[in-house]
Amino acid sequence: MFRSRSWFGGPWGGRPKNRLSLEHLKYLYSILEKNTTVSESNRGLLVESLRCIAEILIWGDQHDSLVFDFFLEKNMLSYFLHIMRQKSGGSSFVCVQLLQTLNILFENIRNETSLYYLLSNNHVNSIMVHKFDFSDEDVMGYYILFLKTLSLKLNTHTIHFFYNEHTNDFPLYTEAIKFFNHPESMVRIAVRTISLNVYKVQNASMLRFIRDKTAAPYFSNLVWFIGKHILELDTCVRTDIDHQSNQKLSNLVAEHLDHLHYLSDILLLDIKDLNAVLTEHLLHKLFVPLYIFSLTPAPPPPSLAVVTQNLAAVLNRNVDIDIQEMHNPRVSSIVALYLLSLVFLVVTHAPLVHALAWVILNGDHSVFKEGAAEILNSYVEHREVVVPGFGEPHESLEQALDTVIGHTSTSASSGADAVSEDSGVESTPAASSSPINRHIETVAEAAATRLRNITDEEKQRLQQTSSTSTQGYVELAKPFLDTVLQALDCTENDYLALLSLCLIYAMSHNRGMKNEWFEQVLSKSMHGSFSYRTALIEHLLNIITQSSQPSCRIRLITVEIALELLLTFTKSAADEAPCITATQQGLLFGARNQSMVVLRNFYKSEDIFLDLFEDEYNEMRKSQLNVEFLCMDSTILLPPTGTPLTGIGFTRRLPCGEVEKARRAIRVYFLLRRTCQKFLNEKESLLPLTNVVNLVQVDNVLDLNNSDLIACTVVAKDNTKQRRFLVIDALQLILVEPDAKLLGWGVAKFVGFLQDVEVQGDKDDSRCLHITVHRGGVTHNRTPLLSAKFLFDDHIRCMAAKQRLTKGRSKARQKKMYQIAQLIEIPGQLDSPLYPVCGTSAHSAGAGNTRLVQKGGLTANRVPGFAAVLRSNNSAGVSRTQMAQNRSLEGLRNESGGRSRRRSPMATGSPSSLRPDSGGMLDRDRSPSMSGGSHSSSQSRENSQARSSGNRSREGSPRMPRPRSEEIPLEDFQHSRNNSPHSRSGALGNPSPSSRSHTPSRMLHYDQISVHNASPREPSMLIGGTNALLNPLNGGVTIAREVLPLQSSEETSFIGNDGDAAADNRRKGRGTIETV
Amino acid sequence: MSYAYLFKYIIIGDTGVGKSCLLLQFTDKRFQPVHDLTIGVEFGARMITIDGKQIKLQIWDTAGQEAFRSITRSYYRGAAGALLVYDITRRETFNHLTTWLEDARQHSNSNMVIMLIGNKSDLDSRREVKKEEGEAFAREHGLVFMETSARTAANVEEAFINTAKEIYEKIQEGVFDINNEANGIKIGQQATPTNPALPGSGGAGGAANSGCC
Repeated sequence: MFRSRSWFGGPWGGRPKNRLSLEHLKYLYSILEKNTTVSESNRGLLVESLRCIAEILIWGDQHDSLVFDFFLEKNMLSYFLHIMRQKSGGSSFVCVQLLQTLNILFENIRNETSLYYLLSNNHVNSIMVHKFDFSDEDVMGYYILFLKTLSLKLNTHTIHFFYNEHTNDFPLYTEAIKFFNHPESMVRIAVRTISLNVYKVQNASMLRFIRDKTAAPYFSNLVWFIGKHILELDTCVRTDIDHQSNQKLSNLVAEHLDHLHYLSDILLLDIKDLNAVLTEHLLHKLFVPLYIFSLTPAPPPPSLAVVTQNLAAVLNRNVDIDIQEMHNPRVSSIVALYLLSLVFLVVTHAPLVHALAWVILNGDHSVFKEGAAEILNSYVEHREVVVPGFGEPHESLEQALDTVIGHTSTSASSGADAVSEDSGVESTPAASSSPINRHIETVAEAAATRLRNITDEEKQRLQQTSSTSTQGYVELAKPFLDTVLQALDCTENDYLALLSLCLIYAMSHNRGMKNEWFEQVLSKSMHGSFSYRTALIEHLLNIITQSSQPSCRIRLITVEIALELLLTFTKSAADEAPCITATQQGLLFGARNQSMVVLRNFYKSEDIFLDLFEDEYNEMRKSQLNVEFLCMDSTILLPPTGTPLTGIGFTRRLPCGEVEKARRAIRVYFLLRRTCQKFLNEKESLLPLTNVVNLVQVDNVLDLNNSDLIACTVVAKDNTKQRRFLVIDALQLILVEPDAKLLGWGVAKFVGFLQDVEVQGDKDDSRCLHITVHRGGVTHNRTPLLSAKFLFDDHIRCMAAKQRLTKGRSKARQKKMYQIAQLIEIPGQLDSPLYPVCGTSAHSAGAGNTRLVQKGGLTANRVPGFAAVLRSNNSAGVSRTQMAQNRSLEGLRNESGGRSRRRSPMATGSPSSLRPDSGGMLDRDRSPSMSGGSHSSSQSRENSQARSSGNRSREGSPRMPRPRSEEIPLEDFQHSRNNSPHSRSGALGNPSPSSRSHTPSRMLHYDQISVHNASPREPSMLIGGTNALLNPLNGGVTIAREVLPLQSSEETSFIGNDGDAAADNRRKGRGTIETV
Repeated sequence: MSYAYLFKYIIIGDTGVGKSCLLLQFTDKRFQPVHDLTIGVEFGARMITIDGKQIKLQIWDTAGQEAFRSITRSYYRGAAGALLVYDITRRETFNHLTTWLEDARQHSNSNMVIMLIGNKSDLDSRREVKKEEGEAFAREHGLVFMETSARTAANVEEAFINTAKEIYEKIQEGVFDINNEANGIKIGQQATPTNPALPGSGGAGGAANSGCC
C-alpha cells in the first residue's frame, strides 16, 4: 500500500532538520500549496507529506499548540478535500493515505479544543459524503473506521458538527447505514456500532430526524435483509438433512443472532419513537408475515387454489382465497419455531414481545391482514401503521436516503415502507421537551388500561369460539398456539417438539413479558372446560412419559426442558409446592418408575456401569439448563441424529450404542427423580453415592495409630522417588508422610478412590507394583491422577498391598453397586442381602465364585472391627489403639483429632446412654455373633489376644486374611446371627472380652440406627451387620472407616512376622478353617 | 496487488495497552517509533510472504466497540487470528485476560489462532507483570506468547507473522475451511499464486521481511 521511499532530499530544499516541528509542518504546507494538482510525478511526494502531517499534528496536539493553530489557520483540510476530489488524485493510492491521516488525526487527538477546531468547518462532512472507490478493501476499511472513530466522538456537544438541523443533513449516519449489508462482516459491524453510537446521543432534534427521515427506510431494508438471510437459512436446513453443511448453517445462525442482538441493542436504548418504528417493522414486515405465517399449515398448491377460485367464479360464489398469500414466502415450521424462540430469548422490549406473544397465543389468520394492531395501540400512540407483509422494500436504502435528504419535504412514496409523515412528525410529542415525564406516565397509564381492555375484549371474542371453515381446512380460534402445542407430539421423534419447547420456554422466561398476562392467556379455556394450561401440561407429561420408555426417540435435552417447563407451569403463585392434579402427579411418578425399570436392565456387574452412573450424576449436577445457549447451536435445526460423528453433544442427540443407551437411561432416571423430589419438596439424600464430607483430603492430618501402614517408595514416571506409607481406607487409597509433630500421625500426601485403582504386579520384581489411580468417570480427562511404581520392602508386603488394593477396589465398588441397587429398587435387593449381581453371576461357576469372594470381603469388613474392639478392651496397652479408633472418626477428618482422645473412654464407659431403645432388636440380632461368634470375630479376638499377650500365636493370627475374605464371610453374611457350626469362640476365645465387646458394638449400632431412621427407603428388617455396609448413607461409610484400620492392623501384625512363616501360617490357617 | 490469501485479524485487550500502536507499527513502517509520540490507527493491512506465498494481513482494532453486546459477540467471528494484548506495566490489564479470552473462545470459531502479547516491554523499570507469568498464562490456555514493544518495534513483526504462520499451517492441515469467509480467510484473486513472490520475500521459513506493498 504505502511505499516506503524517501522523498526527502528531493529537489525541494529547505526541509527542516526536526521532523516533528512547526517548521516542518510549514514546509509540508508549502508542498501542498505547490502541488495543488495531483499528477503521476508528485503523487508520491504528496502521500508522504500527508503522512507526515498526521505525525506532526499528533505531536503538536501533545506538545505544541502552535502546530494546530497553523493547520487551522491555513485551512489545510480543504487541501485534503481538493486532492481527494481530483480524478487522478482520487486514485486509491492517495485516498488511502488521506483516510489514514484522517484516521490517525481523529483517533489520537486528545485535546478537545483541537477536535472542535477540526470539526468546526464543514470539511469533515464533505469528506464523508465523498464517493470513494469502495471496491478497494483498504479504502473501505479506512473509510468505515473513520466514520466509526467519529461516531465515538459523538455527544450532545459535538452532535451539531455532524447533524445540521436546518438542512436536515446527517452524513455520518446516513453514509454509514448505506453499508449495512456490506459483504465484509467487519464493515457491517462498524455500521452497527456507528448507528448505535448515534442513537445513544440524547439530542431530540437529531433523533427526530432519524425517526422521521431515516428510520422507516433503514429499518425496512434492515428487516428485509434479515428476512432474506432467513430464507437462506431455511434453504440450508431443508437441503441439509444429513448434517453435511453444518459449518454453513452455524454461520448463518450466528449471523442471524448478530442481527437479533443488534435489534435488541437498539431497542434497549429505549428511544421511544425509534422503538415504535422498529417494532412496527419487525412485527409486520418479518415476524408476523414470515415467522407466524410459517406456523400455519402449508396451503394447497397455488394451481389448486386457482382452480378453486375459478370454480367459485363459475358457481358465482364468493370464496375467500387470497392468492397473494399463497405466494408469500414461508419457512419450515422448524425454522419458524426456532426463530420465534430466538426472538423471545434475545429481545426484551415489552411492546414487541407482548405483541408477538399475543399473536402466538391469541391470534388467528386475520393477523396477516390486520397485524397486531390492537396490542400495539396500547403501547404506541399515533402508530404509523405498517401493512403486514414480507417483501422487498420499494426503494433501496440508498435511494430512500437520497430522497429523504434531497427534498426536505418528502412525498411519501407509495408502499408499505413509506414514511407516513403527516401523522408521524406532527404528533410526535417529544418535540416539546418539558412535559415529557408526565407524558410518559400518561402513556404508560393509557397502555395499562388498554391492555386490560384488550384482554377483556379478547376474552369475549374467544368465548364465541368461532371455527369458520375456509379453504377446506378448519380455521381454529388460536391456530398458532395450536400449532405450537401440536408440535409437542413426540410419537415419531422430538424434532419439532424440542423447538416448540424452546419457544414456550423462551416466552415464559422473557423478562419483557408480564407473567400474569401470560398466565391469563393460558388459563383460558381451549374447548369448553379444557384450559390451555391443562393442555400444555398434558403435552409435557406425554413427552415425559414417552421419554421413560425404552428405545424412545426423545433426546435428553428435550426431557430436561419438558421437566423444567412442567415445574414452571405447575408452580402456583400462592405457595411453594407446585400444584398438580393427582392424575398428573401419577403420570409423572409413573414415568419415574418406568425409567427405573428401564435402568434396571442396564444394571450390570461390569465396572463401567458404576463409572457411568457416577459420571452421569456429576454431569447432570454440573450442567445447568440454558436454553439460550442451546439455541445458539444450529444443529438443533436438523433432524435428530444418533451418531456422535456429527460432533453434537450427547444430550442433544440420540444415544448410539449400548453404553450410551445406558447413560441415557441413567440420566433420564436422574432427571425424573430430581423433578419428582421437587414436587414432593424432598431433598436428595441418596446421591451422590460418595459422601464428599467423609473423604480424606490431601494435607489432612490423620491419626494412624494402629492403622495398617505399608511402607513403600513411590517411583513416579520421571523417576522421582518418595517414601510414603500406604493406607487403605474404606473408599480411598491414601499415601501419607509421617507427621513431624505427632507421633503416630501422618499427613495425607495423595488420595485417590479405591474404585479407580488399577494394580499390576511386576514380572521382574516381586517387591514392586504398578499402581494407577484413574480420575474416575468415563468421559473426560484420561490422564490418571497417579501412575507410579510402588516399591515395597519385601515380597510379602508387596503381596499384601496388592491384595488389599484389589479387595478394596471391589469392596468399594460393590458397596456402591448395592447403593445403586437400593436406589433403583432392584427387586430382591431389599429382602436378601445377596446382590442380584452376585446371584446372577453365581450361576456360572467360576465367575460366581469370585463374586462371592468379593462380597465376602465386603461383609467381613465389619467383623474385624469387633475383634479390634475386643482387643482394645483386652489390655490397657491396646486400648489406646481403640481410642484411636474412635478418634479416627474425627481424626481422619479433623486435623485436630488429638484433642478428641478423651471422648473414646467416655463412650466406652457409658454405653447405655448411647444405646437407643430401637437398637434393642439389632443388638439382640447381633449378640450371638458377639458371644457365640462367627468364627471371623473369634479369630480376630484370638488374634488380638495373641497380640495383647505379646506372645504371638502363629496358629491363630495368620489365619485371618484368607478366611475373612473367602468362605466365612459368605456364611457370615447369610447367617450372621446363629451360625453355630463355625463358632469356635468357646475353644479359642476369651469369654470376658467377648462380653465386653458389647460396648463398642452398641456404639456402632447406634450409628446405624440413626442412619436407619433417617432414610425412609431403608427396609425395616435390615440386618444390623449388613446395614452398616450396605447403607448408602454416611453411617455406613463411617462405620466401615472406623473398622477398617483395625482390620488392617491385623494384617500388619501378620506381615510383621517373618515372611516365610507368615505365608506358611496362612496356608495352615486356611486349612484349619476349611476342615472345620 | 494480488495475494494468495487474506487473513483477517482482530486486536483485543483493555484500552491503553497499545493495540493501535502495535497495529500501526506493523502495518506502516514509515511511522518510525519516536520517543515522545504515541500514534495508533485502528485499521491496517500489510503484505507478508510465507512459504513463498503472498499473504495479506488485514487487521481490525475493535477498540471502542465494547459497549454493545451485539458488537462484541460478532467481531470475534470472522477473524482468523486474534492478538490479545496486555500492558506489562499495568497488572489489571493482565488480570482481565481471562475475561477477554472467555469472550473470544465463546464467540470465535474454534480454529481462531490467538496470540498473547505483553506490550510495552521497553518499560522494564515499570514492569508489573513478569514475563514468566505471561508465559504461564499462555501455556495454560494454549496460546502463543510474546513480549513486544510498539515503541521500539521489538518483536512486533514476529508477533503478527508468527500468528500468520500458524494460520497458514492450519490451512495446510485442512483445519480451516478456506471457502467459508466467515472464518476470516479469503482466497486471493489468483487462487494459485504462480507468480513469484515480490522481491524481498523470505525463504521457505517465510520470515517474511516485507515492506509495504
